[in-house]
Amino acid sequence: MSGERKTGAPAEAAAERSLPSSSSSSLSPVVEARDVLVRYAGSPSPALDGISLSVSPGSVYALLGRNGAGKSSLVRCLLGQQKPTAGACLLFGGDAWKRRASLMSRVGVVPEDPDAPPAMTARQLSAFSAKLYPVWDAPSVEARLARFGVPAGTPFGSLSKGQRALVALSLALASSPELLVLDDPTLGLDAVARRAFFEELVGELADRGTTVFFTSHDLAGVERMATRVAFLTGGRLVLDEDLETLKARFRRLRYANEATEERSEFGQELAAFDAVRVKVRGWGVEAVVSNYGDEAFARFSSLEGVVDAESSALSLEEIFLAVAGEASPGRNA
Amino acid sequence: MSRSLTVDPSDAVPLWKQIEGNVRRLVASGALRPGAAVPSVRDLARELSINPATVAKGYQRLVDAGILSVRRGEGTFVAERPPAPPRGEREKELEGGAMRYAALAVTLGVANEEAVERVKGSLGFLRRKRHGGTE
Repeated sequence: MSGERKTGAPAEAAAERSLPSSSSSSLSPVVEARDVLVRYAGSPSPALDGISLSVSPGSVYALLGRNGAGKSSLVRCLLGQQKPTAGACLLFGGDAWKRRASLMSRVGVVPEDPDAPPAMTARQLSAFSAKLYPVWDAPSVEARLARFGVPAGTPFGSLSKGQRALVALSLALASSPELLVLDDPTLGLDAVARRAFFEELVGELADRGTTVFFTSHDLAGVERMATRVAFLTGGRLVLDEDLETLKARFRRLRYANEATEERSEFGQELAAFDAVRVKVRGWGVEAVVSNYGDEAFARFSSLEGVVDAESSALSLEEIFLAVAGEASPGRNA
Repeated sequence: MSRSLTVDPSDAVPLWKQIEGNVRRLVASGALRPGAAVPSVRDLARELSINPATVAKGYQRLVDAGILSVRRGEGTFVAERPPAPPRGEREKELEGGAMRYAALAVTLGVANEEAVERVKGSLGFLRRKRHGGTE
């Protein structure tokens, strides 16, 4: 496999560079989904319905969605574990399904529920994995486990959930991956393990600038790490945007609304902000808007009938709720 | 100093801008003196549990503005003579800050005299602190 990578990857990279679409090779995406459709036999609606996305080098891309939204299907397709019904997933410009073996040697994966033979210790797992990758830094595994306080000589089956996640991260980083795929890595972890996981991830980002694709229920963690966020609902991407622009355009507005002769209908004045949720309460109106601007807000505040208008920031969790509706992704984990 | 360098990820202000603003304030108030070392990008990112690229972006803006300087192999420091912000930016910042404070005072129903006295008090406090700090 390592031989295949050494000869295959540069040839393909060169071919990619000659394509007119990728004018700058340094900016060509690390991960790409092109019109991915996944349909399972016996299911009336597709699990993934025309997903297109692109993860640029050095970014930290977070895919959010409730259980059943299609996250697992998408991750399997991106990792070449599943062939899309239509469309394609690409890793480093190569087809993830057709060239899985060579492409995956450049990817580190922390699965949602890390699985390994229960009798094997982390040290044995490291020695075993070393044979599968062209590069393997075994001392880094020992060093990380020591930092985490996870015993390298204890059978995997006897470790706690948090310890297993930290073993999986140590193994994923040992191959010096260009891409790190984390499938809800902190789900079910206690605060100490979660903190350790994020600290190590931050160190990796600082030292190597690794591109990260992750799914998560932990929106507070996403808010601290992600550069780009996508929401998956019912097999479709309802949002795919830089976190900074997303947070700039979503706001909560609160104001008292006085009926006047010209304007008796509530809520119309919000049109300029593209309101996504409007609630009329006893004291006035509370709305979540998706197109906030300071100037528009100043005009809005001076409208006749709009009293005591105030705007406040929304957390990513609140934005997710407003866009994806009902329960938050954390609540039916 | 990093204890006062906190960020609020749920705020609408981007994290890199919060870092930039906080360092500017710490330098302006004298809490961070000229020549003082600031935490490395890696250390601050780990401490705050945020993406190091975010910290780097905030630091880069401060370096570009001449407030921080990077000494290769040594680390990042507050510049020996941090410049006053450019005229236009200074005006904008001052006006924006005054407007925010005025809005707060009006919302809380504070009389003009009291509002002005408070500002004078805060100014006095900061200047004493800064002066005392350099002695």
